[in-house]
Amino acid sequence: MIIAILAPLLVACFIPLLSKIKHRVHTGFFVLLVPLSIFTYFVTFVGRDFSTQLQVTKWIPSLDINFSLYLDGLSLLFVLLITGIGSLVVLYSIYYLDRSERLDQFYVYLLMFMTAMLGVVLSDNIFVLYTFWELTSISSFLLIGYWHYKERSRYGALKSMLITVFGGLSMFGGFVLLYVVTGTTSIQDMIAHPEIVWNSAYLPLILAFILLGAFTKSAQFPFHIWLPDAMEAPTPVSAYLHSATMVKAGLFLIARFSPLLSASEWFYIVVTSVGVITLCWGSYMAVRQTDLKAILAFSTISQLGMIMAMFGFGTKIAIFAAVFHILNHATFKGSLFMIAGIIDHETGTRDIRKLGGLATIMPIAATLTVLGTFSMAGIPLPFLNGFYSKELFIDSALHLEGGMSTIASMLTAAIPYLVVFGSIFTFVYSMYFLFGIFTGKHKADQLPKPAHEAPFGMLLPPIILITGVVVIGLFPNLVNGTLLNHAQSAVGNTLYDVEKIKFWHGWDAPAFQVTLLIISVGIALYLTRKKWQHIYNALPGSFSFNRVYDALIKQLDRTSEKITNAYMTGSLRLYMTIIIAAIIVVTTTVMMVTDGFVVKFDNLADVSVLELVVAGVMVVAAVWTIFTNHKLAAILITGVVGYGVAILFILYRAPDLALTQLVIETVSVALFLLAFYHLPQLQKRDDSTGSKIVNATISIGFGALVAMIGIAAHSSSGFAPISDYFIKTSHTLGGGDNIVNVILVDMRGLDTLFEITVLGIAALAIYSLIKLRNDKEAE
Amino acid sequence: MSNLAVLPIIIPLLSGIIVAFFAKNVKVSRVLAALFTIINALVAVYLTSVVFTDGTVILETGDWVAPFGIVLVADPLAAVLVMTTNIIALASVFYAPFALTVKKEQHYFYAFYFFLISGVSGAFLTGDLFNLFVFFEVLLMASYALIVLGGEKVQLRESIKYVLINLFSSILFVTAIAFLYGVVGTVNMAQIAERVQEVEQTGILTTIGILLFFVFATKAALFPLFYWLPKSYIVPNPVVSALFGALLTKVGIYSILRVFSLIFVYKISLTHEIFIWIAALSMIFGVIGALSTNNVKLIIAYNIIPAIGFIMMGIGMFNEPALSGSIYYLIHDMLIKTALFFIVGAIVYVAGTSDLKKMGGLIHHYPVLGWLLFVSAFVLAGIPPFSGFIGKLLLLEGALENDKIIIVIIALLTSLLILYSIIKIFVNGFWGEQRHIEPTEKKPLAGFLVPVAFLLSFSILLGVGAEYIYPSIESISTYLLNPELYIDSVLKE
Repeated sequence: MIIAILAPLLVACFIPLLSKIKHRVHTGFFVLLVPLSIFTYFVTFVGRDFSTQLQVTKWIPSLDINFSLYLDGLSLLFVLLITGIGSLVVLYSIYYLDRSERLDQFYVYLLMFMTAMLGVVLSDNIFVLYTFWELTSISSFLLIGYWHYKERSRYGALKSMLITVFGGLSMFGGFVLLYVVTGTTSIQDMIAHPEIVWNSAYLPLILAFILLGAFTKSAQFPFHIWLPDAMEAPTPVSAYLHSATMVKAGLFLIARFSPLLSASEWFYIVVTSVGVITLCWGSYMAVRQTDLKAILAFSTISQLGMIMAMFGFGTKIAIFAAVFHILNHATFKGSLFMIAGIIDHETGTRDIRKLGGLATIMPIAATLTVLGTFSMAGIPLPFLNGFYSKELFIDSALHLEGGMSTIASMLTAAIPYLVVFGSIFTFVYSMYFLFGIFTGKHKADQLPKPAHEAPFGMLLPPIILITGVVVIGLFPNLVNGTLLNHAQSAVGNTLYDVEKIKFWHGWDAPAFQVTLLIISVGIALYLTRKKWQHIYNALPGSFSFNRVYDALIKQLDRTSEKITNAYMTGSLRLYMTIIIAAIIVVTTTVMMVTDGFVVKFDNLADVSVLELVVAGVMVVAAVWTIFTNHKLAAILITGVVGYGVAILFILYRAPDLALTQLVIETVSVALFLLAFYHLPQLQKRDDSTGSKIVNATISIGFGALVAMIGIAAHSSSGFAPISDYFIKTSHTLGGGDNIVNVILVDMRGLDTLFEITVLGIAALAIYSLIKLRNDKEAE
Repeated sequence: MSNLAVLPIIIPLLSGIIVAFFAKNVKVSRVLAALFTIINALVAVYLTSVVFTDGTVILETGDWVAPFGIVLVADPLAAVLVMTTNIIALASVFYAPFALTVKKEQHYFYAFYFFLISGVSGAFLTGDLFNLFVFFEVLLMASYALIVLGGEKVQLRESIKYVLINLFSSILFVTAIAFLYGVVGTVNMAQIAERVQEVEQTGILTTIGILLFFVFATKAALFPLFYWLPKSYIVPNPVVSALFGALLTKVGIYSILRVFSLIFVYKISLTHEIFIWIAALSMIFGVIGALSTNNVKLIIAYNIIPAIGFIMMGIGMFNEPALSGSIYYLIHDMLIKTALFFIVGAIVYVAGTSDLKKMGGLIHHYPVLGWLLFVSAFVLAGIPPFSGFIGKLLLLEGALENDKIIIVIIALLTSLLILYSIIKIFVNGFWGEQRHIEPTEKKPLAGFLVPVAFLLSFSILLGVGAEYIYPSIESISTYLLNPELYIDSVLKE
């Protein structure tokens, strides 16, 4: 299985070579072999006696990250969709994409996606799943941005990436939490002992994290906004990623984890309500669109919401209907996308207002669309697969076993009405799509190209898909027992009796009556749609979640600029103020919390008068520097402080240090005076009193803090210092009687070596600075 | 005892002196610099392999026994970081001739570069707190030299802030060392650790510890001490920015890791709790900074700060997975930051501007550069299967083991925004119509790209080949959690 997953990626490496000969053989023909052979491999697993498979290839065993590939009914269903629809889409793309396009990039991205998606559905290891999950987002980003010279493509690509990666990261958070709680990275191991997760206090958080991942990926309300913009991608991509496969990854995730997470009542409440709202909003908004692909995008959103809701219901029949509809939706929606691409390709426009009356010109496309849209609308005809799953959906909505709490029971009561609402609009947009393109007046003058039927190669993939619609419609048990049964048992533990699936349940079947209601209201609404179209001006009116997103992004850029500019002013004074204030606050707090301040008077030496005088002079001089406005005075007074230190060294009998200090002070005063001419005039600062107070507080506070730490440090000393060793061994081991010298050149010679280096670097730096500037000025 | 521990410090020091004499002859100094860097890198690899097979390598300099003399301690952590430093040095030395003008090369770039490497390696290897200060001075002085190399007005303006803030923290460093010496009577880190443990880290020791933390935090550019970083990192040449971004802040964060895993580990509930908050704030403010600008160099420079936040978060959590995560992330970030600064250097070179708003369509002429940036964006954001992912996984795992949910959420959001800040460069700069300022013929870029690819190959190896690396990192983290191991290897030979 691992070969099957990685095969597309490996083939992708050779695509650039193959595209060299693209003018003789379209690169797509080579690519087609990949999904086709994987499909053929996996199709052999289908059958009533299918049993699950687990294959493990080690990757990072020490982190429990391995390619453990788990094939059960659910993943098999998805694998077949990915490779099956994938083959058809590649075939379609051969005719859709001209050889002058950058075919190599297109197919590399597409194959990358194929690997990613197969990886998502087959991985049992949560972190490997996450890896592939992000890879689907990345390849989707690249495919949406394929025509990146268009501004809308770039916008759509970035938007889809931000939203899906946001969800992906959230899901990752949930996975890490699951790993910490359960101690395993295997989904099946977690499901085997679900009580660990059920009893964890983190269950709601895990649920929230993972649901966010699923909702963003599957374009659920209000994260659905990226999907319509993703339609900027070439149509084969829309048919493949943004309808049949990638957007269903969220559904897959919910299905995969529902044995673990559905124990929480919030699972029922959140998944169901989000699903149903998405269903309603998507179908409602679809009728408003004028771009064919936008109609299909909102239709996809709505259908995804419907499947999501069914997983939320969690009843036997709902789960069965959900997996059934995943398959059905892929067949009819895939073909409708391809037809939208055909219309675009052959007429030059996707604007439904310019289209019409194409039934006679494009009869095959028209026939296919009739079957596709009728199946989508759930019209009760015995050869449409969409009807079966739709009726099961309505049936399940009417027989909910929702939770116990007030919210849950309120939700349970409201669902049937919302479902009917969503289904009515589903009917309306299906008819709108069908009749808008093919009936009415043909407006040849508005079309950029004269319309004609598409080449056979382009029609073949939708024909195959619509054949699937009809075959499943006629013989639902062909897939029920062999495939869907295994898929539903992977989600819920109990089995819905698939033998109950049949076309006719009698006039009195409640779901059938509801279907009739939906169709009759739907027809009425479709015929009168011009009259109520203006309702969209009230709801949503000018409001849209797109605007929320745009505003959010804009605010993100703007606010971050504002915040950053507020403190990154370039003013060193401000920087130092904040830095020192932070040090004062945190360090003082720590000192108080830990009782760090101690004073002891028993280890102090006597203070002589001379010391007092010197200290006094230094204090006065230090304070004076602040108040003087004369730069010469400031330089000299600073010198006084330095010389004071030197005198103290003398008093403490450290002649070497005193000498060093004297030299340093003399040199620095001399340097200051040398540069005197270039120093700026000190001006009387007219700071506000407020800032003066702040500055004074911070200076005094910092001084006090350092003094307190110094006092406390001295009062806490209790260990023998290592200096005793230096005194003892200076002569015997170091061969010198001046301890300071021995320390500098021997005991801590390494320090001295590198301090000299520092001076050397400084000298070299100054030389290079001056030299380079001089050279420049000379030029 | 083995002189091996001092070689990664002394080789670059001598190399720096030698190349300074050949500075005027650019060809010779390039060859010499490359040669010495390769030698040093080989030594670093050898040192690492010795450390991982035979254990910590100690050198008591001048044969003055610990704790009285200065000891160099090449333990697994130090060895790994020295090796990473050398990988970066290797990439830089080959990138430099393309990025620098001959004038700058002649004005002792290679000498300063070697002194910087020497200081950084010394900081990683020393086992003596005062000696650490000395090596900080070496690397800072070299960095002052590099930042003003070229002598542009803007370089001087930004470097004065850089120098002053760093000078302040250096003063604070010496002060803190003096206080610490006053309490425990030693500057040998192993002995400090031993004595701090003996008195159960009294209040004053914790206070001094926090003071030291602020010293290192200034170097590491943690919140709220990072002001000096962004603008001063973008004024020098990209190769200098890369060295700074990869090495300087990392020395700061390494020092925090060392000091707060070896010495001050007895009041974790207070100190490390503070770290977690500072980590969170660094992530937030850092990434906000990265989003606030259209200057591509500045975007990368700001991105240093949240990365430091991630590493800090692991130190704050102080458990096995989190520390492994910090170390992994540290290595990862050193590599990818260098790569990103290199990439941005190349972008500015070909586009003739660092303003994103004036760029577009670069991918038509420079596809390889574009894809390298694209991959780097995901590496940086910690998307699998690259190096950042392993580090982040471990960090989050460690955080959740400590039930720190909020910082996990902040970290995840930060990752998203990091990705956004970089991918913006790709979408706006590389996609779209061509419209950069100099639309003349294609400029040759291979010299820029090879070092980038070299670094990225390590990033991929650290991710895809984590199985070969992670066990070693895990062993470092267990080692850090047992300070006795360090103390014994230094004091009880």
